[in-house]
Amino acid sequence: MTDEVKEVRDDEVVPAPASQGNIEKSNHIRSLIWGAVVAVIIAVFLPAPLFASNLSFLFYMMLWLTMAMSFNFVAGMAGYMPFGYVAFYGVGAYAMSVLYKTFGMPIPIALAGSAAAGILVGLLVAPTLRLKGVYFGIVSLALAMAMKLVISLMPRDITGGSLGLILSSANDPLAAYYAMFLVMMGALAAGTWLSMSRLGTALRAIRDDSEAAEVVGVNVVATRLKAWIMATMFPALVGGVEAWYTNAIDLDSSFNLLVTAKSIVYAMAGGLGFLVGPIVGASALYGIDQLIWRNFPTLNLLILGVVIIALMLLLPRGIVGAFAQRFSRFRRFIP
Amino acid sequence: MNELLLQGLVNGIVVGLIYALIGVSLNVIFGVLRVVNFAHGEFIVLGAYAAYFAQAWLGLSPLLAMPLVFVIFGAMGYGLHFMLVQRLSRSNDPEHASLLVMFGLSLVLGALMLLAFEADARSLNFTLDPPFLMFGNIILPTTKLLGLVVAILVTGALAFFLYRTMPGKALRAIIMNRDAIQIVGVDLNRLSALTFGLGLGLAGITGILVSMIFPSFSPFIGQDYTLIGFIVIVLGGLGHPIGAVAGGILFGLAEQTAMVFFSGTVAMLLGFVLLIAVILLRPAGLFGVQNSR
Amino acid sequence: MLKVDQLVKKFGGMTALGGVSLTLPDQSILGLLGMNGSGKTTMLNCINGLYEATSGEITLDGVSLIGKSPHAVFSEGVGRTFQVPRVFHQMSLLENLSVALLNKGLSNAEVAEISAHWLNKVELYRLRHNYAEELSGGQQKLLELARIMVANPKLVLLDEPFAGVNPGLALLLIRIIREMPKEVGCSVLLVSHDLTSVYELSDNILVMHEGKVLAEGSAEVIQSNPDVIEAYLGA
Repeated sequence: MTDEVKEVRDDEVVPAPASQGNIEKSNHIRSLIWGAVVAVIIAVFLPAPLFASNLSFLFYMMLWLTMAMSFNFVAGMAGYMPFGYVAFYGVGAYAMSVLYKTFGMPIPIALAGSAAAGILVGLLVAPTLRLKGVYFGIVSLALAMAMKLVISLMPRDITGGSLGLILSSANDPLAAYYAMFLVMMGALAAGTWLSMSRLGTALRAIRDDSEAAEVVGVNVVATRLKAWIMATMFPALVGGVEAWYTNAIDLDSSFNLLVTAKSIVYAMAGGLGFLVGPIVGASALYGIDQLIWRNFPTLNLLILGVVIIALMLLLPRGIVGAFAQRFSRFRRFIP
Repeated sequence: MNELLLQGLVNGIVVGLIYALIGVSLNVIFGVLRVVNFAHGEFIVLGAYAAYFAQAWLGLSPLLAMPLVFVIFGAMGYGLHFMLVQRLSRSNDPEHASLLVMFGLSLVLGALMLLAFEADARSLNFTLDPPFLMFGNIILPTTKLLGLVVAILVTGALAFFLYRTMPGKALRAIIMNRDAIQIVGVDLNRLSALTFGLGLGLAGITGILVSMIFPSFSPFIGQDYTLIGFIVIVLGGLGHPIGAVAGGILFGLAEQTAMVFFSGTVAMLLGFVLLIAVILLRPAGLFGVQNSR
Repeated sequence: MLKVDQLVKKFGGMTALGGVSLTLPDQSILGLLGMNGSGKTTMLNCINGLYEATSGEITLDGVSLIGKSPHAVFSEGVGRTFQVPRVFHQMSLLENLSVALLNKGLSNAEVAEISAHWLNKVELYRLRHNYAEELSGGQQKLLELARIMVANPKLVLLDEPFAGVNPGLALLLIRIIREMPKEVGCSVLLVSHDLTSVYELSDNILVMHEGKVLAEGSAEVIQSNPDVIEAYLGA
């Protein structure tokens, strides 16, 4: 007891700036690690088309990295489970394709339209952000289905009806590859900013206990809205770029629930709430997923489902989360 | 036109009672376990297949298959509770964990059914004599009428169970106050497992009714039923067993009349609009009591 | 000064608060006693905006708090703690405190300085980089208290601050609470079961029973009030 009191007294003498130095040191190491991760990602994906024979593999890896990262903005940082996440992806794909094909706009503008459409839908459904856990999950899924129905009810000459749209004149896989690269860099930048800024602190507080955060002055609704808007823009862009890359869209593939499922699995496997979580998760599982997909296409959904259940039961905090729990000393260095 | 509308309303009541059953079983599970069963629709479809194969292999009529399916599905639920649900209650964030696990389970079940039964839609070969009854100008297939009677009987039995028997009263007590019930000394784990079993047993019976009343079923439609169930329980109030009956009938009526005037897609969309409107305007449901927090 | 006037809160058919009035002058401590279900926590929830009062008025220095959301009430200078401590589990102690300072327009250096000061006061400074979930229950209560004190509140609502706290930490807590009105200039509304500490700390005491005020006065007055003895202390 006396020891403890003494220790505390010792600390009391230490002036505040020392603590600041300490925080800065751990922040510094964390930034270094994060910088290294980003550097590796750039080093892999930027020059890859020069060497790689399989562009598609890398393109979809970037796609899932981006989807998982932006899923983390809402699920890991704001504490929502949007089961209808695919809605933003689908709306983005359709916005890009309709603007390009039906209205003859150039691709960059069509892609900007994707982002705008994603944000617009995000704002439209923003009132659902005040719903709690279960309700939000249910409504989010219903909204995704509703969105698909709405598009299917639109005139055939705009959206192509059940056949979808073919954008063959847009065929330029390499340009689409680098567009996806830019979107991914945007998501990385957004994540970096989120975790370093005060908005990020507020979000993590909300995730841990939204009512307690509200009680100490965090405007929960407004804060969540900001993260939500960021999290809706990226999947819409991803959907748009994917439509460009494959040159074809249809309702069933653009609003495929698999898109939500995979985003969840990758983000969760890595560890929600950590900046590197989705990156670790997507990198670890994407290759395995591709193998399964190629060899047993029918088993894909089954295995995804099993993986989700197994993760929740055995590794609920993901790879990075489990590491942080096991080695709590290093936790503050993990970005 | 009026006859069409009347026909729509009659269909609405039949379909609505099926929807009500989906909602009631989802609600019993949610009320007691605080688990939203994302895989409910898949269990319903599985029930429909059970009726199909009971008839094809064992020559059992769907009515006779019902008690059998109820017992098998009930046992399945009892087991699944110990495998999955119970372990979730120890997690950091049980609500989200359960949502995710059930989401995973729904993917697994859908895929398994696709592998086992293939993608073709099937329908039950089940007719009664006479196949139709006419009430004025309204045509009512006798299978639908039978389905209606069964749905009413099952709902009635469930209401009797919940309001008149001891285990049923204990269930309702848990829905109202989980903490108090533990103090009173009810074995919450066992009761939870029984509840999950009851919920899945009901899903199985609902599946048989679905196979009798709707023209066909396939492994893909599970999610549609789950969503319908969500709409119904949100209309009636989450965790409010009898509210779901009203919600189901209301939604059935709305959907079937919309089908008369517009199309199936519009009818479905109407359901979603209803769902979102109710959730935003009256989160406790149309018939629920507003909760304090 | 906090003024609560004829506050009523109903849940469906149940009346949790049936017209409660109280006045809490600046820099003083008001103890709120009462059994489970007497409406103490409901009272705190109404004051800081977690519940919407059914009727009645609550003002702090003349500004009405009715209809304000909890974060707006916090900006008016009202901080509160919870019966079961609610810290941000997966954030460090320093980060926990920084949340309360997010909207104060302070520089990082100022945030660090204020946080260090209060972590020292609650004797958790050496654990400043640990995650809050690593603290004991009592330490979490101290952290929760520090988290509202960094924001320099006018009014502090404490819900059962001594529940589940070991005796050593309880002494520290009592010392800090006693010094708060003079040091920070805030007033304290103290809800507790713990009679001795309420008697010791409070300038004035209110006893609640079934959503109504049963008695009010100094510790001696309360201890000798026959109604209180019958309803609360007796049997």
